[in-house]
Amino acid sequence: MISAESAAVFIGSSIRLATPLLMGGIGELVSERAGVLNMSVEGMMLTGAFAGAVGSWATGQPILGLAIGLLAVLPVALLQAWLSNTLRANQIVSGIGINILVLGVTTLGYREIFGERSSDEIPGFGKWAPPLLGDIPVFGQAVFLQVWIVYLGLAIAVATMLVLRFTAAGLAVHAAGMEPGAVDKSGLSVNRIRYGAVLFTGLMSALGGTFLSIGDIHTFTEGMTRGAGYLAIAAVIFGNWKVGRTIGACLLFGAATALQFQLPAMGVDIPNALLIMLPYLLAFLAVAGLVGRQSAPASLTVPW
Amino acid sequence: MSRRYQPGPGILISIGAVAAAVLLGIVLIALIGVPIGDAVDAFVDGTVGSAYAIAASVNRSVVFALVGIGFVFANRANLTNVGGEGQIAVGGIAATAVALYGHVAGLPPGLPFVLPMLAAVAAGALWGGLAGILKTRAGTNEVISTLLLSFIAVWLLYWCVQSNALLRQPMTNSATLPESLEISDITKLPLVTADPSLPLNIGLPLTLLIAVVVAILLTRGTVGLRLRAIGLNPVAARRAGIATEWYAVAAMLVAGGLGGLAGALMLQGDQYVLKDGFSSGYGFDGLVVGLLARGSVVGVIASALLFGFLRSGGISMELQAGVPSAVVQIIQGIIVVALAGAAYWMERRGTTR
Repeated sequence: MISAESAAVFIGSSIRLATPLLMGGIGELVSERAGVLNMSVEGMMLTGAFAGAVGSWATGQPILGLAIGLLAVLPVALLQAWLSNTLRANQIVSGIGINILVLGVTTLGYREIFGERSSDEIPGFGKWAPPLLGDIPVFGQAVFLQVWIVYLGLAIAVATMLVLRFTAAGLAVHAAGMEPGAVDKSGLSVNRIRYGAVLFTGLMSALGGTFLSIGDIHTFTEGMTRGAGYLAIAAVIFGNWKVGRTIGACLLFGAATALQFQLPAMGVDIPNALLIMLPYLLAFLAVAGLVGRQSAPASLTVPW
Repeated sequence: MSRRYQPGPGILISIGAVAAAVLLGIVLIALIGVPIGDAVDAFVDGTVGSAYAIAASVNRSVVFALVGIGFVFANRANLTNVGGEGQIAVGGIAATAVALYGHVAGLPPGLPFVLPMLAAVAAGALWGGLAGILKTRAGTNEVISTLLLSFIAVWLLYWCVQSNALLRQPMTNSATLPESLEISDITKLPLVTADPSLPLNIGLPLTLLIAVVVAILLTRGTVGLRLRAIGLNPVAARRAGIATEWYAVAAMLVAGGLGGLAGALMLQGDQYVLKDGFSSGYGFDGLVVGLLARGSVVGVIASALLFGFLRSGGISMELQAGVPSAVVQIIQGIIVVALAGAAYWMERRGTTR
């Protein structure tokens, strides 16, 4: 039988592993709602992970690392926004190009900066549990003792849901993705909304990336995002472009990833490869439409 | 949905993008502190320095060309196949399985190496066709589905070489590596020359033949016209009586099948053993080759040669001169971004077509 302790550990690690996906996913959701498909979430996350690690290592302050990670993604996000909106480039191709470029730059930069020190631990964030929740027996520490970025991510996700649903800015984002013509006639700039949305994706993805490097494991490895950005995009499709369902999808992918560590610990004999594959397999089944009809924004990937 | 790449005078833009990216790569090498002379020497050694280096570069180009031709074929119907990596992986798995355990030894001459190739084509076609079926049945964006299928395939390969029940070689001692047995000599691809210092295998003429057939299909026959009609306006194409869904699936079957064949050539012509990391980024390089070609099969051959030699030179620069292979990756990234950005600029100028 599954003990309460191991269930608590499983829930805690599911949340932890879902966090980078959640941040990238929420960012991507806003951008897709505004009509821009960012295939470069992966590259944006990797930029944040790399610059955050370098910043934290150079200054000794994880919080400065976080700030540097967020700053470093701005040129990447601006490049994507410029390609997708001003140059009307194919959004998929330009995003994949950015991902290849970022993978090359971060791999090269990592070797040049860290070199032989590659296995060094980088200063990172400690863990924290909210006052009352942390005191719950068994579950308190295992589930709620997390890096504060996890709570920040959840708070931003909820705030994004409220902004999208109840504010004029949310309406403008939604309209830019559904009826850009109407937005233009109303006097708002479709491209300005879309630039803003892509920058938001960049910042959120970078936040997720810095969580990976200086929040979760306190080191950087080459290409450490390992497709998390693509999973985030799949989560948006799985979530049918709605915040609540996207959060659910990220938690599901996080839980699937957590099984990798949980099942072997429980003595269940399942091939490791199958467990590593599981989140991608779930994401594939999700985008394959096994979860009901998909209703993408009407003008997704169509430049204005 | 996505803008298709047009053939035409875009060749100048492609050349410009490649030249600018290569220049930047040279600057990077200088910044890293590697003497440019050493890097150039290593690059020349690894590309045209010997008959063996030339053959290795050409064999690499052949793999990129197959993935690139598949990309161009599917892209004619406005389908973007970014799943080359996974199609190579499943092709490699299928070819290994048939070559090792398909009882091909006693078959008439030729069949022992042809059957694994056919199995690889079938596996790749399945992997690509799956994305095509999802596209037509559920409207799933083929970019995201082929990407996810690639991740699945890469881990499937890892599973195959880790598990004794699958393709891992029998454990004789604790140091047995997690990889397959080496395939037998009769399942390896025959060389086109008798000279073993120039190991060009039959993958080269086969790929050239496929290139000619695809070029004719795309430019001379009704197939290319129909694919283009579907790509430009699927509703109008359907009204005109074209079986759009069938063509879309077929286009992805072809693209995937060529990716699978590329995997067979890598296994049977070069590596002979299936191991983790088998596809090693060749699928993504092939994708870039397809993008560079801007819709033309001749363009695929040219950019496949460019990338084959670039990759060989990159490997040699890393081994001999200590230039990180990431430099080549940066060059590739810049090329893709520059070409994606230039596509609209050219259409606005009306220089395409």
